[in-house]
Amino acid sequence: MALENVKINALKGTIKYSSRTYVYISASRKIKLESSSTYAGIIIEGRNVEFVRMVLRRIRGSHNPDVYLKPVFLMNGNAHKDPLVAKLIDGVLNSFDQIPLIHDITESINQRKSELTFINSISFEAQVISKLMCYMFTRDEKEFEPVPYALSSTNYSFPFLACNYEPSDEYQIFDLLNTAVSEGLFSAEYLDRVYLCANCKSSHLSYRETCTKCNSTNTDSFDIVHHFPCAYVGPITDFTNDIDDKLNCPKCSKTLKHIGIDYDKPSVLHVCKNCNHRFQDFNVLAKCMSCTHDNPVEQLVSKEIFTYTMSKKGEDVALRGYSSTPKDIEEIIGTVKFETFKTVVKYEVERIRQTEGSSNVVAVNIVNAGQFYAKVGSNGQQAFLRDIVAEIRSSIRSSDMITFYSSEIILITMNDIPSKIVSRILSDILDLLKKLIENNFKDLAIDINGKALQLNLETTSELQVNELINSL
Amino acid sequence: MNLNEFFEYLSAMGISRFARVFWFFVFFELIRYVVVDFISLNSAFMKKRFTRNLREEATYRFKLEQPLVSVIIPGKNEGKHIYKLVMSLREQTYKNIEIIVVDDGSDDDTPFIGKDMERNGFIDKFIRNEFRGGKASAANLALRFSTGKFVVHMDADCSYNRDAIFEIIVPFYEDDRIGAIGGNVMVKNYKDSLVTTIQAIEYYDTISIGRIVTSHLGIYRVISGAFGAFKMEAMQQIQGWDIGPGLDGDITVKIRKVGYLIKFAPDAVCLTNAPNTFQKLAKQRLRWDKSLIRFRLRKHRDVFFPNQHFNFPSFISFLENITYNLILNVKWYVYVIDMLVNFPSELKFVIYTNILLYTTVNYFKFLLFSLFRKYKNAPVSYFLIYIPLMVVYFGYFLRFVRTIAYIQEFFFKKSYDDPWNPPKSSAQAKKLGI
Repeated sequence: MALENVKINALKGTIKYSSRTYVYISASRKIKLESSSTYAGIIIEGRNVEFVRMVLRRIRGSHNPDVYLKPVFLMNGNAHKDPLVAKLIDGVLNSFDQIPLIHDITESINQRKSELTFINSISFEAQVISKLMCYMFTRDEKEFEPVPYALSSTNYSFPFLACNYEPSDEYQIFDLLNTAVSEGLFSAEYLDRVYLCANCKSSHLSYRETCTKCNSTNTDSFDIVHHFPCAYVGPITDFTNDIDDKLNCPKCSKTLKHIGIDYDKPSVLHVCKNCNHRFQDFNVLAKCMSCTHDNPVEQLVSKEIFTYTMSKKGEDVALRGYSSTPKDIEEIIGTVKFETFKTVVKYEVERIRQTEGSSNVVAVNIVNAGQFYAKVGSNGQQAFLRDIVAEIRSSIRSSDMITFYSSEIILITMNDIPSKIVSRILSDILDLLKKLIENNFKDLAIDINGKALQLNLETTSELQVNELINSL
Repeated sequence: MNLNEFFEYLSAMGISRFARVFWFFVFFELIRYVVVDFISLNSAFMKKRFTRNLREEATYRFKLEQPLVSVIIPGKNEGKHIYKLVMSLREQTYKNIEIIVVDDGSDDDTPFIGKDMERNGFIDKFIRNEFRGGKASAANLALRFSTGKFVVHMDADCSYNRDAIFEIIVPFYEDDRIGAIGGNVMVKNYKDSLVTTIQAIEYYDTISIGRIVTSHLGIYRVISGAFGAFKMEAMQQIQGWDIGPGLDGDITVKIRKVGYLIKFAPDAVCLTNAPNTFQKLAKQRLRWDKSLIRFRLRKHRDVFFPNQHFNFPSFISFLENITYNLILNVKWYVYVIDMLVNFPSELKFVIYTNILLYTTVNYFKFLLFSLFRKYKNAPVSYFLIYIPLMVVYFGYFLRFVRTIAYIQEFFFKKSYDDPWNPPKSSAQAKKLGI
């Protein structure tokens, strides 16, 4: 393979081959992932597995198809031996002169990507299912397999999906996949079963035999000895002495000779060193190593692990776009559909053309909304969105309209209001939403921004709205 | 033979001839089971009346101390009974009890039931032996982990009056020398069949009344396994039960041998299910009767010899037991031969007279002794029609079974082959002659 066809720009960190440009990411050369959408593929330095994992999580966890579907390759190192990493990359390179070898893969992924339709969905669940189907379609994969993975809180990682959830929230994937199966997008085949902590849904459990009374693990066990001739029965300590190894019956003083002939050990007795309770059957508790909750085993949450195969319907849906799951409500009360919103804005542009009035569209972007939704699941997301709408409604007039462009981006019309006041209202809305999120998700950082656009008559309303969205 | 001939035969018979022909009845049975019983019963009740204060003081001390009582229930495949029993124990008026259930190698649902009851706090301890060790070892295992001042042994298939535990423990406070107390066992299923009805009469009369008498005379022999209470220090001294069958009588002897008194508590009532066929009854009685030879004549024969551990009540108890069970059993055959040889011409009159005598005495005893019975689980009238059958039951059935048991045990040591005990234990016991 001729290296001369591969052009490396060390300054920009790009590698060009046959009109396609790849971007190179290493621990010392980081880029803004959104900007990677312009490249044909991403090459990550593969020496530091944690770094690779972090980058891959960000790429595959993005909700931008130009990012999460990007062909990703590893360069050097052993990071690809990590089972999660191995499932999230499209190939491994040993040197840049091997780039021609991955060219076909890149072409194929990008070609298949161009066949897909992407529909913005309010539903986080639908978004993630859609992402998975698109990802599998672009990789021409039918099977979706979980991998045993110690770093996953559920012990089995669903590689692509896991990137959309915090490690502690990965258990939500079970419900997500159940929805996808019930929708007929996937078929499932049983693989294994895991047990999750009833408190935090982690599968990092330590099973311990404990005292039935005080749950202490500090116990001793003794054989129970039955001496046949005199029917004495007691712990073996009753028969032992400090002088020799002989076992002497405390009742008849005879020396025990032959197990099965003159004595046997019909059972075992455990003694708790903490409360001195004597018992025969341990209580088994599963201590969660994530939250330290001690679970009685019967209270553990049992989850079946399946391997999944994308159905024909799944493929079709991936091509056409997938916007909602049966569990989602059609729309959030107090909002209009995006299509309706676009029509209203179109008429608003016509109105200001005729009345010389002013009109504004405000966009609010909850950048890491996916993190919040991943935590609360489908029902929680709906409730959360209703709260958001209620907060926004409290700051705007009843004649103003709200729509969800996606689960992260909210658009609001504000007609006949000066720009300054619009900016102030936007600032109030952002503050309110921050407080709302802070109250609901105390341990998550909030990344929220907004922008206001005064509609003009030079370009179409659709273009203006798209520009506003893209500028966020 | 008509009735006139029969009465003529009786009226022509003088007292001395009557005594000669019916010597077995007059000199043994009438004196021991009617005269002695009646006198003793009266004496016992008089004593009870005059020692009412003692009883009241004992009750007060018991209520004040409220000692922990360990209720032990050993058994195999008793799961189906244990739940009912434990639920009934929760009804007991005396509350400071710990319940220890030992599962002796059950092969049914008993382990699951027991563990579940322990987990739910219905019982304090459930101990399971994977391999069956026999009743004695199971009881000893329960004893080993009992922490009460008193131990009450119960059978899983029995039920108990609400005040049974209270009533069986109070006598310990009447006399510190008491080491063990037997409960009053009655037949629960007395309506099941003729066999159970007859046994109910037997338990009413011979067993219950007999135990009041022997307890009063200080020669009470067997604390029933179905319901017996033991002082923990006495049990520790004798180190629990020895290998059976017949371990109930054996432990009574052991406790008396170390100097304790044994008492019967007629007010501590336990209802048991008696065998409901003659076959099962015969099997049970063969086992009971063999133990007389095995334990009284062999294992504890030292009771008869004057030595440093000589104990007079034990000696009398053994003597009474052997006289009235073993010797009289033999003597009855002597009586039969005597009649066949010396009175062959009047044999039919002898038989009818004996039946008449025994039936009359049985009615007399049953009705008279009913006055001494405080607790009745069935109306006296229910049994009246069955009393005549007791002649056949006592005179022939039980005597015949007893004879077989004595021969089997005396000459063949058959008790060691009894499946009641696991072979591994019986083999060792036989080898050591215990």
